[in-house]
Amino acid sequence: MFRKILIANRGEIALRVLRACRTLGVEAVVAYSEADRESLPVQLADEAICIGPADARRSYLSVPAVISAAIVTGCEAIHPGYGFLSEDDGFAEVVRAHDLMFIGPPANVLERFASKESTRRLLGSLGLPTIPGSNGILRDDAHALEEGERVGYPLLIKPAAGGGGKGMRMVRTPRELEASLNVCRSEARSAFGDDSLYLERWLDETRHVEVQVAIDRYGRGIHLGERDCSVQRRHQKILEEGPTPALSEAARTELCTRAIRAIVSAGYENVGTLEFLVDRDGNFYFIEINSRIQVEHPVTEMLTGVDLVATQIRIAAGEPLGFSQSDIVSRGHAIEFRINAEDPEHDFRPSAGVIERYLAPGGPGVRMDSHLFAGYEVPPFYDSLLGKLIVWGPSREAAIERSRAALAELLIEGIVTNVSIHQALLSSEAFLEGRMTTNLLDRVGSSAFLAAAARA
Amino acid sequence: MTEPQQPPEPRAARTAKSSRARTAPGSDHHPRSAAERSADHAAIDRLADELLPALVAKLSATGLGEIEVGEGSWTVRVRRPADGAGTHNRRSTDRAARSQPGHAGHGHAPGGFEGHRSARDARSAPGPNSTNGSSPGSADLDATGSRSATGSAGVAGTGAPSPGSGNRSGDDGADRFRAIATSPAVGIFQPRNEAKAGTRVRSGDRIGAVDMLGVPQEVVAPADGIVGASLVEAGQAVEYGQELVIIELAGRPLERTEA
Repeated sequence: MFRKILIANRGEIALRVLRACRTLGVEAVVAYSEADRESLPVQLADEAICIGPADARRSYLSVPAVISAAIVTGCEAIHPGYGFLSEDDGFAEVVRAHDLMFIGPPANVLERFASKESTRRLLGSLGLPTIPGSNGILRDDAHALEEGERVGYPLLIKPAAGGGGKGMRMVRTPRELEASLNVCRSEARSAFGDDSLYLERWLDETRHVEVQVAIDRYGRGIHLGERDCSVQRRHQKILEEGPTPALSEAARTELCTRAIRAIVSAGYENVGTLEFLVDRDGNFYFIEINSRIQVEHPVTEMLTGVDLVATQIRIAAGEPLGFSQSDIVSRGHAIEFRINAEDPEHDFRPSAGVIERYLAPGGPGVRMDSHLFAGYEVPPFYDSLLGKLIVWGPSREAAIERSRAALAELLIEGIVTNVSIHQALLSSEAFLEGRMTTNLLDRVGSSAFLAAAARA
Repeated sequence: MTEPQQPPEPRAARTAKSSRARTAPGSDHHPRSAAERSADHAAIDRLADELLPALVAKLSATGLGEIEVGEGSWTVRVRRPADGAGTHNRRSTDRAARSQPGHAGHGHAPGGFEGHRSARDARSAPGPNSTNGSSPGSADLDATGSRSATGSAGVAGTGAPSPGSGNRSGDDGADRFRAIATSPAVGIFQPRNEAKAGTRVRSGDRIGAVDMLGVPQEVVAPADGIVGASLVEAGQAVEYGQELVIIELAGRPLERTEA
């Protein structure tokens, strides 16, 4: 096991990794930007080191700054958290070149899965169903139109690199396709530094279901069940739960079993997530792999009792997994609510400011992963995630009941949060009946959704 | 990162103040020649611009308690306050230097408070001024005044600048006499041999480098002045924004005491 690691991230995930380090007996150094000097992970860290100014490009995204910080503080490994440098194979390679360990898949594995388009083909060839789409990267507009015709409209234009909905567009006609290509290219270029695009047939009314896997250096892998992330707003997940209400137990087992088999054959290593779309008839299609810890990992931790971040670190340190598939038992139901500094009344515009009061909810099955404290000033420079409320119950109904109580207890004063959208979800029929699809919120409109909940 | 620097006082104002002090002790009825006056003014200017900052820099760099230099009819004495610069060498990676949860916005290092307190004690201690005025024409600089202010503003020296600290105001005046070169990167600090303590530098001059993965990132003087004490050792690991080298600014007005 490592003696000391650098946490190259901020906010709740820096805190989460710090806590995992504590349980492993590993010293943790938190690398922070000037804007995060007063943040909780910096205050709680064994050691903290300022790596640059608020601008993430010169701090959390600066490869030399992060690696230099790891070297001068005597760290043996770097945990990148999620976002920032977490899926950057170039970064992982530089980490390795400096005789440090990257806590995640090794650089060559990251590189193999860096292109969504080629990953889709690789896993397709290993037995996972994929959505019909273009044959490879679009070479130019003419090629795009040709491929669009072959696949059939409506289509989804997707960037080969990155994720998070950037550079993605749904188009219904060749004319829309032609008009959107340049916008998608420039969005993808500025977000991921790569403007390669591909096409996928657009599936209406789909659910987003993802399978958590963990594979050690020796090729031994297990799945830890699935999560349903169908509650989305503009391709951003806002609530995740497990198990998915969309599939029968037999179907869930089949999905997870096929996923782990394919990804082990593909040579993946460490913790990762395979994302699928599930259509109305329960058919599933592989869309992409996230080769990092995900925001919603606590859902799986609550269901299985496995510490995924500690598992990540142990695998990176070369330890064998230490448990087998039959050791993984998923119990009950868990729901995660992303608490964002966003104003649902005003098109979810981000808010920043000082947290005047903060009270985290409690009780059986209630977990709050957050870096907030009263007096903390939320800086305006980074994403709007303030924390995650994760609630477990023996059944979905019980988890929902506990969630209502927990959301009512949660107190954040000083800035506007999106708690009202979660309360609206917990009173919406579509959610209560487990019928949410990825486009439902956008189709209904978030404000209409909130208004309907207020009437109910 | 760098503290907002107040520009040195304009030369004219300084000269006027100094010359008032110079002519004060019983010289009214012995009007001096224009040549004498201008020679005095030139000497005062030179003292204020060159000798004093150099002496202050020497003092902070050497660890001596007091330096006195005589030249012609002038004597300049610079004295260090009791607590010295002992609080300077701390990195903000030092756990104790950071505030605890619930105390955000008061990120003062406890040591900073210590420095402040002892400096103030030194200032109120009997007689820092009692040795003044030994001979007419002696410019006895009470260094305690400037140093004590540094002890608090300077938290200045403690590495972790504390945004939102309310403790700075009131001491800002002292910052007029020093600026601090901060680290442009996280890495290993190497001072520049040509920029030892006592060297005169201009704003933007390279006074050292922070080696980040083998690539030197320049540490530059934030203002014109004299290189003073180094707050970190050569070869030491530093973080982004860490305070590295004090630059004593030209422009401290000479206070002449009435004999």
